[in-house]
Amino acid sequence: MWRDAVLVAGKDLRIEARSRVATNQVLPFAFLVLILFAFALDTDQRALTRAAAGLYWVAVLFSTLLAIQRSAAIESADGARDQLRLSGLDPAGVFLGKVAAVAVQLVALEVLLGAGVVVLYNASIRGVGLVVLTCAAATVGLAAAGTMYGALAAGLKVRETLLPLLLLPVAAPVLLAATKAWQAALDGVPADGAPWLRLLATFAVIYLTLGVLLFGSLLEES
Amino acid sequence: MNYVLAGYAVTFGALGLYALRVVLRGRALRRVLAPVPPVDGEEHG
Amino acid sequence: MTAPATSSRTAPGAPASGDGAPASARFRSVPRWVTPALGVGALVASAAAVVQGLVVMGPTTNQGEYSRLLVVHPPVATVSYVAFGVTAAASLLYLIPRTRARAWDQLAGASAEVGVVFTVLTLVTGSIWGHSTWGVWWTWDARLTASALLLALFLGYLALRRVPAEETVRAKRCAVAALIAVVDVPIDHYATSWWRTLHQGSSISLTQPDKHVDSAHAVGLLLGFVAMALAYAWLVTQRYRVERLEARYEEEGLSLALDARKAEGGVTAPTGPSDATGPSDATGTSGDPPVGALSGERP
Repeated sequence: MWRDAVLVAGKDLRIEARSRVATNQVLPFAFLVLILFAFALDTDQRALTRAAAGLYWVAVLFSTLLAIQRSAAIESADGARDQLRLSGLDPAGVFLGKVAAVAVQLVALEVLLGAGVVVLYNASIRGVGLVVLTCAAATVGLAAAGTMYGALAAGLKVRETLLPLLLLPVAAPVLLAATKAWQAALDGVPADGAPWLRLLATFAVIYLTLGVLLFGSLLEES
Repeated sequence: MNYVLAGYAVTFGALGLYALRVVLRGRALRRVLAPVPPVDGEEHG
Repeated sequence: MTAPATSSRTAPGAPASGDGAPASARFRSVPRWVTPALGVGALVASAAAVVQGLVVMGPTTNQGEYSRLLVVHPPVATVSYVAFGVTAAASLLYLIPRTRARAWDQLAGASAEVGVVFTVLTLVTGSIWGHSTWGVWWTWDARLTASALLLALFLGYLALRRVPAEETVRAKRCAVAALIAVVDVPIDHYATSWWRTLHQGSSISLTQPDKHVDSAHAVGLLLGFVAMALAYAWLVTQRYRVERLEARYEEEGLSLALDARKAEGGVTAPTGPSDATGPSDATGTSGDPPVGALSGERP
């Protein structure tokens, strides 16, 4: 299973390296979201700074939607799904591989967005460790749930509108917890963020497990 | 008190309306799917 | 033939014969009187609950008249979660190869739709109750927020059900979606309740009972639970049957429409070839008048 995961992750990342969708489209989109928030909050610097954690994670969440769409679209092109099944790869491995690829892209995005938030919203990150752990746990959870929904909606005509409707409610607690944890880091009280971090880690573990168990049935008879 | 009554009304009203909708749909489907009365069927039996 | 219903609330008996799916036999073993009994029971319990809530129960010191909502709000909220649980359990049974049966998928869908109704009611009654305490129509109370998320999860699931796809594919995907969603519910709960408590000390829960709950209120709450539980059971049964009927309609619907068409053609222009398809019409899949007309033309 792990070998297959590495294979699939490598494939997805190589495709990304060649097509550069994440860098050319998702990243600018994320920054655009940050800028739009500034317009919405009327550049009241204090409001932006206070809300920085939440705004950051909303931007990440929207970017996750795009990243998942992309990850699922790769498999829908040119009968790739059938080839995936025929290749005999372990479905759990395929799942983990895709999760890893999406997570890597998201983490890179989050680092850049974090810098954006520090600069644009005048946020000061005082608990770097907490920030890093939060991003890691939240990303893995989002990638896991998202990859499952991506495969679920794949091949359906209404995929573009269905995926956000499916993923966002499930991602809501992640948004909540990640915001709270970041807030604690920005306020310089990392201890406050501990329960939220535990929640994020639990979420990630649960959805990784769920995906490993169920991804196979999603790939069948696509 | 009015709001309380509204709450009760919405609750039982909504349930009643939904029940009506389900039952009516069931009846419509049964009508469409109903087999022909035995008399006609035996003619072609 | 299906038996005529005696009132709008009582339902005809077990599903009409003809769908040979093995799971239907499981439900056919339920006696015919069960469903109407559920319906009647729901009506009786509801009436009793309303009387208890509006007449017998008196206003309380803490919440005045609004404590009467104890009869509706906690019961519908509980039922909405039960509905979701049923959807998830049925989905799990569908996914396990040994227990896979179309009936589970249909039950999951039926319970989900009924669950949406109860979840919306939870939000409405909760909003009304919150209005009494805080004067606004919506507060980010932990339970209301969790219910709102539950509604979103339900709606996503129902949207997925409506997407056209081959039947087993759709059923499997919906089942997986239900499981993904149900796992989220307890996480939602922790998240929203921490959200509201870690922030502002202890938030007053909407359904926190008054310190001295008198017996009238306890009875009202109990009646409410009984009424909503029975209503849920009856509604799910009816909705499940409609689901099965719709499945049959999808399978047979095309041939039904074709037969009706041919019958119309037979009335206006008695051509041989259209009559030659008679034997398939004779199985009685079309409506009564056209078939009678067609049979009248046969030599």
